[in-house]
Amino acid sequence: MNNTDIERALGTTEPQVNADDALARFQARVQSEGIAPVVPIARPRLTSRWMQGLAAAAGVVIVASALAVSGVAGSILQIFEPKSVVAVPITQGDLTALNTACAGLNLQECMGAYGTFVWTTQPQPKEVQSRSLASAAAGFAVLAPATLPASVTGDPRYGVVNRSSATFTFSADATRQSAARQNRTAPPLPANIDGSKLFITGGPAVIQIWGAPAGTPGASGAYPDVPTLVIGQAKAPTVSSDGVTVDELRAYLLSQPGISPQLAAAIRAIGDPSSTLPVPVPAELAISHPVTVQGVQGLYVGDNTGIASAVIWQKDGMMFEVIGSFTESQALAIANSMH
Amino acid sequence: MTLPARDPGHVIAAVSPAFERLFRSEYARVVGIAHRVLADQAEAEDVAQDVFISFYRGHPADASYGRAWLHAAAAHAALNAVRGRDRRSRREAAQAVPLDATAAQDDPAETVAASETRDEVRAVLARMPERSAAILALRYAGLSYAEIAAALDVRASSVGTLLRRAEDAFRRELR
Repeated sequence: MNNTDIERALGTTEPQVNADDALARFQARVQSEGIAPVVPIARPRLTSRWMQGLAAAAGVVIVASALAVSGVAGSILQIFEPKSVVAVPITQGDLTALNTACAGLNLQECMGAYGTFVWTTQPQPKEVQSRSLASAAAGFAVLAPATLPASVTGDPRYGVVNRSSATFTFSADATRQSAARQNRTAPPLPANIDGSKLFITGGPAVIQIWGAPAGTPGASGAYPDVPTLVIGQAKAPTVSSDGVTVDELRAYLLSQPGISPQLAAAIRAIGDPSSTLPVPVPAELAISHPVTVQGVQGLYVGDNTGIASAVIWQKDGMMFEVIGSFTESQALAIANSMH
Repeated sequence: MTLPARDPGHVIAAVSPAFERLFRSEYARVVGIAHRVLADQAEAEDVAQDVFISFYRGHPADASYGRAWLHAAAAHAALNAVRGRDRRSRREAAQAVPLDATAAQDDPAETVAASETRDEVRAVLARMPERSAAILALRYAGLSYAEIAAALDVRASSVGTLLRRAEDAFRRELR
């Protein structure tokens, strides 16, 4: 097969389009769905691609975090508490596989594809009016940056999420039925995993947001205003198990269809899965590398357009993240000024 | 949100002149990229509409990266769409439209063979690594190396190598 054959295989007929008609359809959709354009801005902000990548990656965190589980059969041990963070590149194919598996489902329903997910304490975010109130509600001292780039102005808003917990029970039946519904075949759940439980806790967490809309939420239409800086601080999440070991779970999840060789290799390469938080990084959209922040090793993640940056680190039992439309040095300066 | 009154028979001026210019200049290209992957014009135009909606929501119309963003989004959205099809719907779609003008044969056997070939082509694109599939869609939709480099955020000097690897992978998969 030569290049002409490839061209032929990919179709040689140029589609004939009518841009006028297409524009009319576009405008009708914008009107009927109340879609608002992005507000013109004087400087780059987080792009929607980045936000989409992060949102999708957040779903992968659940799966990847579940990999970081080890334990001794029959005993309940706290077996995961992150002491460090590491980047795990997630390809678009991985996200697609995940989206296919969880299309249209919320976290609880998506996890239901492999068993039963039950909140024992639901996360209930609330807004408070000051940092001291946030510290009081969270039960830990909320750190604030001493210096901010000129692009970040005004006072932050504070959100607090309570300590939340959930139990996940693996189910071979649920796995089989879920696969059948999606017309795919999943590897059978090993008998010793079937029925075993994970106990997951997270938070409390405090989120400080600069540049968030102060008016009525959603007043601007379908496109929400994008914050200029988000700082998150949370008690490190923990996972306990009453049976399944890290090797068993890792082997099973890596045998799922749709996981790319790159993702599988990166997960296998995690040195100590009981204390390493895998941070999914969209491989096509972002770059990442280790950085020193607050005297510990953290992770820098950047949108490969150079528009957005995130710094994530763990120190003294707390997870921190700084996200915004900054350069790497600006993001690190903010992170290192936290006190 | 107050919407302007509709004016029947006239395109409603709901978008900025800058966005309209971008739409008019890039619509055919965006459809063309999606069409390379989907081989279905109606589906490619649906993807193009979604791509422009995403851009409209999230980016200034005069953004310097606008064209590159649209090209990349067209390839990725089309690849996502083709992966989302199940095997049966792919076959139906493949049979709905001929492979190309030369394949629009009267001979039913040739038409079926062409459809099966195209069905396999889409399956190969869906299996390939994202960047490799995207670079094929972009190149065979007529983008220059510089445009591909901008869309995929790679060095222009790397495009030739990446394209050759993608073509080799495509040939291997299609055997």
